[in-house]
Amino acid sequence: MTTDTGAAVSTRGLTKRYGATTALHGLDLDIPRGSVFGMIGPNGAGKTTTMRLLLDIIRPTAGELSVLGRTPRDGGAELRRRIGYLPGELHLGTRVKGREFLAHYAEISGPVRKGAVDDLADRLGVDLGRPVRSLSKGNKQKVGLIQAFMHEPELLVLDEPTSGLDPLVQQEFHAMLHEAKAKGQTVFLSSHVLSEVQQTAHEIAILKEGRIVERSTVADLRENAVRHVKLVVAEADAASARSTLDALPGVAGTASVANGPGTVALTATLDAHVDAFVKAVARLDVVDLTMEEPDLEEMVLAYYGTDLSSTAEPVDTDRKAAKR
Amino acid sequence: MNRSLPLFRRSILDGWRGLVGWTIGILVALFLYLPLYPSFGGNGQMQQIVDTLPPELVKSLNYDQIGSGPGYAQATFYGLIGFVLLTIAAVGWGTEAIAEDEENGQLELTLAHGVLRGQILAERTAAVLVKLAWLAIVSVAVVMILNEPAELGIEFGNLVATAVAFLGLVSLAATAAIGVGAATGRRTWAVSAGSGVAVFAYALNALGNQSDDLAWLHDWSPYSWAYGDSPILNGWNGTIWLNYAVIAALLAVGWFVFRRRDIAV
Repeated sequence: MTTDTGAAVSTRGLTKRYGATTALHGLDLDIPRGSVFGMIGPNGAGKTTTMRLLLDIIRPTAGELSVLGRTPRDGGAELRRRIGYLPGELHLGTRVKGREFLAHYAEISGPVRKGAVDDLADRLGVDLGRPVRSLSKGNKQKVGLIQAFMHEPELLVLDEPTSGLDPLVQQEFHAMLHEAKAKGQTVFLSSHVLSEVQQTAHEIAILKEGRIVERSTVADLRENAVRHVKLVVAEADAASARSTLDALPGVAGTASVANGPGTVALTATLDAHVDAFVKAVARLDVVDLTMEEPDLEEMVLAYYGTDLSSTAEPVDTDRKAAKR
Repeated sequence: MNRSLPLFRRSILDGWRGLVGWTIGILVALFLYLPLYPSFGGNGQMQQIVDTLPPELVKSLNYDQIGSGPGYAQATFYGLIGFVLLTIAAVGWGTEAIAEDEENGQLELTLAHGVLRGQILAERTAAVLVKLAWLAIVSVAVVMILNEPAELGIEFGNLVATAVAFLGLVSLAATAAIGVGAATGRRTWAVSAGSGVAVFAYALNALGNQSDDLAWLHDWSPYSWAYGDSPILNGWNGTIWLNYAVIAALLAVGWFVFRRRDIAV
């Protein structure tokens, strides 16, 4: 059905409808092997639906889907042994102890190296001697992560993996992702905020209402983000500084604001072109220069907003997809 | 990794506490009822009490043969208290097997592993049936132990036939819950199907007992299929197996839908 393009996950026109509701509108997605791919979007954007389709928990209404070179339906149990999955809503109500619980899942997943479960439990700091249902939300999440990682699967599908984890454990989790990537494992993770994926994900897709509205690398996102700059020069240089800025590409909204005696502060926004900007102002007699780190989160949130829905038409998305 | 039937073993291990509880329940019921037979039923006292009851009630409860040892065991345990107890266990276990596991979210996790849907259905159904079979075997053992002291006079072969009929009847309720759970993923539907089948079976049989005009209802009652020809007196008969045929059909339909539908939506 789908040809093996070498991608760990590849979808073409992937569509999922529940009755009258369409959860996914023809998703085109390629996740290269050995990469960490982040999917972000608000609740109900279709992140969980996409992940469940990969595991054959639900079936696509239309479109093509290939996971590690197989369709989830044909790949069956054998394919799923090569995947580690953490569901977005993890409910662990069993009274069996963590170790016994994981031993059961180890039996029905790929081979688990001896000691792997204990190593992971030590790293994440969870007591496997306690009944699973008595664990806190965060500790249940750790048990969920262990069952996803323990057989060192080729593909990790993690639905909001850091939910409920404290910052220290999140750091450990990020280290685990880096190691997974170093070992050549592919990671597909989702979140509703960028900050959870930007540290680890190389490439991201922003999903909204079942469509990909933006696909980018974190580096590109940062490069293209709008920065606020503030340049302080001597009063005598103010006019020439201003004309220098106005002549630069990507600079907008230049304004002079009062500064200490003898100096003038010029503020502006800069859209990419950081290199050209720095080189141009280097020729000036600069008293001070401030460039704010771009707020990527804000940028991503703008994609969630309804005001941007006009730019998220399927035609637009398709054209973008074709370009890549 | 190489050990077989992981889901079956998991189900049995997860459910052992419950199984112990139900075993005690069956033991208590048998040890309470059966030893009373010599003082109650054997000397005709029980028959006198039954004669004073409204005939419709006697027929509904299948107490018309309570004056004999086998009839007493059938009317009190296999036809009533044992049937009720095991049906409750069967519907509970049958609902847990798929529907409850799906509603509480854990089926999704299990299905994301190296197992097939048919395998889940088969292994979990096997676990439920094995647990029910264990309870049926316990009942056979206890009845055989009490047979002499309680002067029941039940033949072993007939008892085995009765236990098989009993197992078929309660397993039908279990598989109705499993099959409907597998097809719909809804806990309430599974419970309704399992208990509904049991109530339907019993009620149809009770109505069929009332008069010759209604006797045709027996043809449609799984309860009558199991006990209609009094296996505890007469031994094996063909209709006992009818319940097992329906069980197989329910599982086949459940499997057919289960392997095609979306899980946990």
